[in-house]
Amino acid sequence: MRTWWLLLAGLLAAPLPAAEPNADAGQMAYAAGDFVGAVEKWQAAILAQGATAGRLAALGNAEWKLGRKGRAMLCWERALLLDPRDPVATAGIRHAQSAGGIDRPALTWAENYASFLGADTWLVLATASFWLVVLCLLLPRLRRRAPTEWQEKAVVAGATIFLLSLPGLWGAHVYARRAVVRQADIFLRLTPTARGEPVSGVAEGDIVRTERPFNGYVRVTTADGKSGWLQAREVEPLWGGGLPANLDQKPAP
Amino acid sequence: MPRACLHLLACLLALTFARAEDSVSWEMTPPVAGPGQPFRLQVRIESDVILGPADRVGRELKPPRGMALRFSGQLFRANTTEATLNFSGVAPEEEGAHVIPSFNIRFPARLIKIPAITVNVSAATGFRRDGQARAELVMPTRTYYVGERIPGAILLKGSEQEMVNGSFGVECEAEGFTFQQTGARNEDLPNGQGLQTGFELTPIRTGSSEITINGIMLVNTGGLGGFATQGRDRPFTFRRRVTVEHVPETGRPAEWTGAIGRFLAESVSVSNTKPEVGEPIRLRAILAGEGNLDRILPPELASNETWDVVPGNDRRFRRTEDQRSFTYTLVPRLPGKHLTPAIRFAVFDPETRTFQRLEFAAQEVTVTGNAPAKVELVSLDPGAAVGTGKPAAGLATPDPTHHGLLDRGVQAVAPLAASRPFWATNAVLASLGLTLFAAAAWTAYLLAHPEILLRARARRTLQACRREATAARDEIGFANACVRGMRAGCAPWLDAEPAALTQSDIRRVLPQADAGLLDRVFRRADGDKFGSPATSALRAEAPALLGLLAELEARL
Repeated sequence: MRTWWLLLAGLLAAPLPAAEPNADAGQMAYAAGDFVGAVEKWQAAILAQGATAGRLAALGNAEWKLGRKGRAMLCWERALLLDPRDPVATAGIRHAQSAGGIDRPALTWAENYASFLGADTWLVLATASFWLVVLCLLLPRLRRRAPTEWQEKAVVAGATIFLLSLPGLWGAHVYARRAVVRQADIFLRLTPTARGEPVSGVAEGDIVRTERPFNGYVRVTTADGKSGWLQAREVEPLWGGGLPANLDQKPAP
Repeated sequence: MPRACLHLLACLLALTFARAEDSVSWEMTPPVAGPGQPFRLQVRIESDVILGPADRVGRELKPPRGMALRFSGQLFRANTTEATLNFSGVAPEEEGAHVIPSFNIRFPARLIKIPAITVNVSAATGFRRDGQARAELVMPTRTYYVGERIPGAILLKGSEQEMVNGSFGVECEAEGFTFQQTGARNEDLPNGQGLQTGFELTPIRTGSSEITINGIMLVNTGGLGGFATQGRDRPFTFRRRVTVEHVPETGRPAEWTGAIGRFLAESVSVSNTKPEVGEPIRLRAILAGEGNLDRILPPELASNETWDVVPGNDRRFRRTEDQRSFTYTLVPRLPGKHLTPAIRFAVFDPETRTFQRLEFAAQEVTVTGNAPAKVELVSLDPGAAVGTGKPAAGLATPDPTHHGLLDRGVQAVAPLAASRPFWATNAVLASLGLTLFAAAAWTAYLLAHPEILLRARARRTLQACRREATAARDEIGFANACVRGMRAGCAPWLDAEPAALTQSDIRRVLPQADAGLLDRVFRRADGDKFGSPATSALRAEAPALLGLLAELEARL
């Protein structure tokens, strides 16, 4: 049994060999200092083949090199949603916090716990363990027999996994309510109005915790605990997109 | 002591007599009659005894001079303590108050005294006995103002000879006005001799112009006789020259936002009287009255150091309510007790040509929370280049082909929890589990109570035997079906196989059954097996046997 668990963990954690034998075109452009070219190629790859943690993290690096901190942070954060242990995204965020002056709220204990696995993995674990428990409880009653030993063990194991996954689900839920500030030189407002009094400045790329929306604004809390209102278009949530939104493009009527 | 008892008895008697007092009310239609106008008088009596039919009502009735009055009938309901009597009459030609003297009405159980009734006659009711039906235009005669709502009406007045039944095709030809009909198209006039149609006019530019309103009314000639009426259309046209001006600028307050009419500040309320700093609350004011409610611009509320104001949606209530609400969203900036901003209106009264001020009172609100300790003044430099504030360095060349087993590439980074198929699958699994659990529980219950299945099976067999017995044409078939049914119906009670039951077993279950009858039917059915064939006829006893089967089925 232990061998099976180790094999599964190895499959999940071990990086796969490169699917393409040739070096990635974006990677070559990045190495040559052509960050615009790298961004274009990685964006095209994401649009064509889907977003992976590696692609998003690499795109974040290129965006950071171009000085687009909001897009870079969004790419890295989304990469961490897909793979909470992606080394490129982790290094990029650490670099942004130390050298780039980006503010990011400290993780709570639940978020730390949840970062051990991805949000989807927690949900799959919780669901699978729940149904395992239900099945093992229901099966003996359907067969009108006493539960066997392995069924009892499965119930205990399933219930344990289910209980252990609850903090992970909560942490993932709290973590998902973050957003990245996408515009430079904006400030928190005291009230959600155009004449709202500025409370504190926020920089592009800062991570904020979002609360309720109102009147085209959203109430946020910054890394240093200040609360206020930002316009909804000034922030972009972590969940819900592949590539960062293009703020220069006007929305369709 | 005897004295006290007498007092108590006297009080009880007084109460009894007070309770026994009869109640008499009356109603006249129309309330005020025109000279010579027919009217109807209805007298209602409530008593504490059953009244029954009235007798010789008209005998004591003595109407005043010039008035015709007669008893036209009683609404009679048996065994009730109420009575309703109808009288019809014609009002005198002379105006004034005419008194019908008090008179008595005799019922089998009691004599009821009707008090004197006054009939008011006035020529101002508009009742006309003779004359053609005609239309009248009712509109205020004055200078109108751009944007105001001018109520008007067309009165279609008939007479006893020509009744107005309806109108159609009412339209207005007027440049610089909008025209709209209001309310029901044909409302009855108070005297019942015609109809009225309401409308609204709104001037949209200044100047002098002519208003033309025309339409067609439906007139019935030949009086009220049911078979002699003849209908015909009769057109009408009104022309009126009117002058329209702007609301005067002299004395016009700054807060006037187009309100013309007569209004009052109905109510003002806040959605939350204890908000936190930064928490939006709703301030709602309701304006009521007659005037151009649709055209009023919501008064502006300016933000101040205490409140940040967001203009909200306002709406008009139903047209008949003559109300309009104005809603604002207020966001408190500072903690403490504050008053909401007052909403000030100015209204122009076109009748008096003066402006009036209205004010919705400020509401007290207690704001909780903390004020911002320090407000950072953010200085914006539009000329600064994007991204030049902080250096961008580091970050080695990444390897985008690195990914885990489950990281296969997605179009959008969306959580599994937002996936509809995921939850649909779980719902299906839950439904399946519940169904299986319910089926298992029901099966276990049946196993624990086997008599349920035995009885159900016996009931089905018994029903089949009853049908077979009813349809049987020969006596042997009938007897066999009855015996088989009785055995099947009794088996669950005796916990035995049906074929093993004998006549005496049946009697244990049905002790009240006729032993002779059972003997005859069993002999008829099974007699051949035991060499004792029956000869008696069973057809006459078929109802009794079928009754036994029915009783057995009911017991199952």
